[in-house]
Amino acid sequence: MTTDALSYFFQKFIRLNWGIVFLVLLISAIGWGLLISAAGGDIHPWAFKQVTRFSVGLLIMLVFAFIDLRWWLHFSYVFYGISLLLLCGVEFLGFIGMGAQRWIDLYVIQLQPSELMKIALVMALARYFHSQLPPLTFKKLLFPLFLVMVPVVLLLRQPDLGTAMILLMVGGSLFFVAGVSLWMFGAALVGAGASIPILWSFLHDYQKNRVLTFLDPSQDSLGASYHITQSKIALGSGGLWGKGYMQGTQSYLNFLPEKQTDFIFTLLCEEWGFMGGISLVFLYVLLLVLCFRIVLTVQNTFGRLVAVGMTMTFFLYLFINIAMVMGLLPVVGVPLPLVSYGGTAMLTLLMGFGFLLNVGLHRTLKIPRLSIGIF
Amino acid sequence: MSDKENTQFLRRTLFLGVLQIALLIILVGRMYYLQICEGSYYHLLAEGNRIATRPLVPLRGQIYDRMGNPLAQNETSFRAVLLTDKKDKVEETLETLCTLIVLPQDEIEETLKTIHKKRGLDSLIVKDNLTWQEVSAIELHAADLPGISVEVGSTRKYPSAFRGAHLLGYVASPSEKEQEADPILTIPGLKVGKVGIEKYFDSRLRGKPGHSAFEVNARRKIVRELHQIASTPGEDIHLTIDGSLQEYIQEILSSYESASVVVIDIQNGDILALVSTPSFDPNLFPQGISHKDWHELRENPFVPLTDKAISGQYAPGSTVKLFVGLAALHTGVIDKNTTVFCPGFISVGNHKFHCMRSHGTVNITRAISESCDVFFYEIAKRVGIDRLSEVYQDVGLGEGGLEGFPHAKKGLVPTKVWKKEKKNANWTVSDTIQVSIGQGYMLTTPLELAVAMARLAGDGKRLIPRLEGQGDVAFEELSYDKKHIKTILEAAQGTVNMPTGTAFRGRIMVPGMEMAGKTGTSQVRRITMKQRKVGQTKTAHLPWKYREHGLFVGYAPIQAPRYAIAVVVEHVGGSSLAVQVARDTLLKIQLLERIRPL
Repeated sequence: MTTDALSYFFQKFIRLNWGIVFLVLLISAIGWGLLISAAGGDIHPWAFKQVTRFSVGLLIMLVFAFIDLRWWLHFSYVFYGISLLLLCGVEFLGFIGMGAQRWIDLYVIQLQPSELMKIALVMALARYFHSQLPPLTFKKLLFPLFLVMVPVVLLLRQPDLGTAMILLMVGGSLFFVAGVSLWMFGAALVGAGASIPILWSFLHDYQKNRVLTFLDPSQDSLGASYHITQSKIALGSGGLWGKGYMQGTQSYLNFLPEKQTDFIFTLLCEEWGFMGGISLVFLYVLLLVLCFRIVLTVQNTFGRLVAVGMTMTFFLYLFINIAMVMGLLPVVGVPLPLVSYGGTAMLTLLMGFGFLLNVGLHRTLKIPRLSIGIF
Repeated sequence: MSDKENTQFLRRTLFLGVLQIALLIILVGRMYYLQICEGSYYHLLAEGNRIATRPLVPLRGQIYDRMGNPLAQNETSFRAVLLTDKKDKVEETLETLCTLIVLPQDEIEETLKTIHKKRGLDSLIVKDNLTWQEVSAIELHAADLPGISVEVGSTRKYPSAFRGAHLLGYVASPSEKEQEADPILTIPGLKVGKVGIEKYFDSRLRGKPGHSAFEVNARRKIVRELHQIASTPGEDIHLTIDGSLQEYIQEILSSYESASVVVIDIQNGDILALVSTPSFDPNLFPQGISHKDWHELRENPFVPLTDKAISGQYAPGSTVKLFVGLAALHTGVIDKNTTVFCPGFISVGNHKFHCMRSHGTVNITRAISESCDVFFYEIAKRVGIDRLSEVYQDVGLGEGGLEGFPHAKKGLVPTKVWKKEKKNANWTVSDTIQVSIGQGYMLTTPLELAVAMARLAGDGKRLIPRLEGQGDVAFEELSYDKKHIKTILEAAQGTVNMPTGTAFRGRIMVPGMEMAGKTGTSQVRRITMKQRKVGQTKTAHLPWKYREHGLFVGYAPIQAPRYAIAVVVEHVGGSSLAVQVARDTLLKIQLLERIRPL
């Protein structure tokens, strides 16, 4: 390696948004503490594994950050294509887990193509809108609509309601910031409203149940809404200061389901109270602010759309999860970003932050909008 | 990038940012609501989740007789208990258990039924009163019996099995109806008094259940014990009953098919004995009586489950003559020298009322001691039913005696009003005549008769019978002239101690312990004119259930009356056996009194 390359790398290293890296690390570390508590004070079976995965993820994040943004621009459709293939793959290769076909067993690691798709869709849309000059006519929107709807339909078939929702909303927000006119959004909303009955018929019984019990929790207290009822009890009983670290009776005595994954925010709030909950939310807000600072300073369209997409994805994870455990949204199986136990979601998020850091490093880069080909 | 495009982008991005902040503020608001506003509510729910309580059955109070001997006590017992949180393999477990201990099929089915009805942390008693062999068999095979454990509990034991079973009653598991009325009774293992003293004093004997609180997990498995509130044992009850006397009476009554005896202390109303035969073993009940035993008890023609001493209603027969005589003297229709000629019958309208024999000219003393019906027919006519029934009621007939005692019945003292109401007919002289010899509509319980005897022998005081309590009681005076009472009591002494008296053969010959009293026979079926003509005035040859009951009321000793007694021996055709029972009993209690330290 030449000294030039080294100094180039070093330059990038210095200019890296260390605030984001630090916050990601801090929030993840909070998660590890909670995982130890969830295991009753043991680093097994969750915390240790999570730290290991995080180390790998962190490396991937940094690698992704340093690769030239233009390279990502070039390969974004390829990336999307691979993700889509994998997503189709679970239809044939995936096995049934958690009542849904979501995983591909690659023998070494289990891969969740729906997670990859969250990144890939953002990249593909960013690339498409980068190449289109305003005004964005309806005809120009057909292709990106296709990009969004194909994975959404596949995910609904899996069925993975949570990811489908996130894809739709991330896609929607990219359309929004890319400058699609507001009346089109209005028309889309009307269309979506009209298609709810059709979507409803696509849902599995357990999903219908979840939605119904969300709308009327008194329907059954030991059935589908048991999780959310217990979660609210755990959260509410935390009070202002909480029951103390590893003192959460709801979690410790297993009343709280999935306390290490989807309901980890409840665990935090039970043991650390309102103060604990609000502190984590504050850290998330801080992280969001840093992300938005990048979004607002980037000077190329691809970069800022990627940044908006990643920020939005991150926000949706965190909002849906917290709203879900507090009974504001139906239980859709979305983890708390960086904190919940689980490899794929963390990998996705760290890749996302890798892209954000990348865009941050390349904020002044000018990328021509029309001269790029498909690949 | 054009400026226009750039501005729009910045505007819309800022909009997204503001939207996100707004949504997060909603989340924080929700968090604030759940944790701060509703925090204490959810805290309660969390505690309710976490803590399960298991009730602790209180030790039932023991029952003692007046000498401090136990009549009902608790014995440590071992029982096989099933924790219902291991529901899944219950049937298998019970099958294994069957091979180790005796467990009838219907009990297994009962257990399974109960398990499926219950939810949560209940423990269920599969079998009570395990033998040592059974305990060790279960302990040995503990690994094959998930959820089954041996617990130490207590079982009700009645040491003198057949003596006083009616009086004491028994305990058993509460019925569903009882559990509905009192939710405390749903505590597994808690027994309630079903009849007798056990029921009468149940609220005092029962005690207060405690509980232990456990921390449980979501599968309702116990994690650890948090605290325990001990149960309060029930109160011990000390009865006025004399266990030895009770036992003695039971023994002498065992020669007869069906009989009852009540003995009362005239000084204070203490019920010393309350016996009914045939009896049963109350120890059959606390662990649940078997169908076979229950069936046998129910089908027995001598109704062993009925306490005849307090719920048997008998026509008192001639025993009431003591009170008719008192009524006549009290109202002044006769004095102690008034005589009536007894030709052996009396005609009322076109109906003849018979006497045992022609007594000739009799006064009150002879009329009582020789039991002349005609004398009483005559004086009852003069007294009239109104005043007669007043005296009956004064001495306690128709009063019952033990208010609220399970299955206690009252006798019947008929009046004009009563007949009008119940029979819709006017009172006739015939009715008065029948009531004067304790027949017709009249009914009394042995307890009432004993109380009536005690009130008379106690010099006309309104004695109240009691089952617990100590010391003498100053009873209210009844408004009878002591002179009249003395006349009646002298006549009662004559019944037993004069050679012409109806109970002479059953007298007590120990000086200072002599008894007095009045015999009676209670007709179960009218003697027909035809039978009377052929001389069948006795009923001994009739089938058992048509024979007359033999009755005796009496007291002893005659110098200073202390013990009053009423005896009913069912279907024996005459009163002599009742007299014998009274004699033996009154002698026994007086002898016991001598040998016991005061």
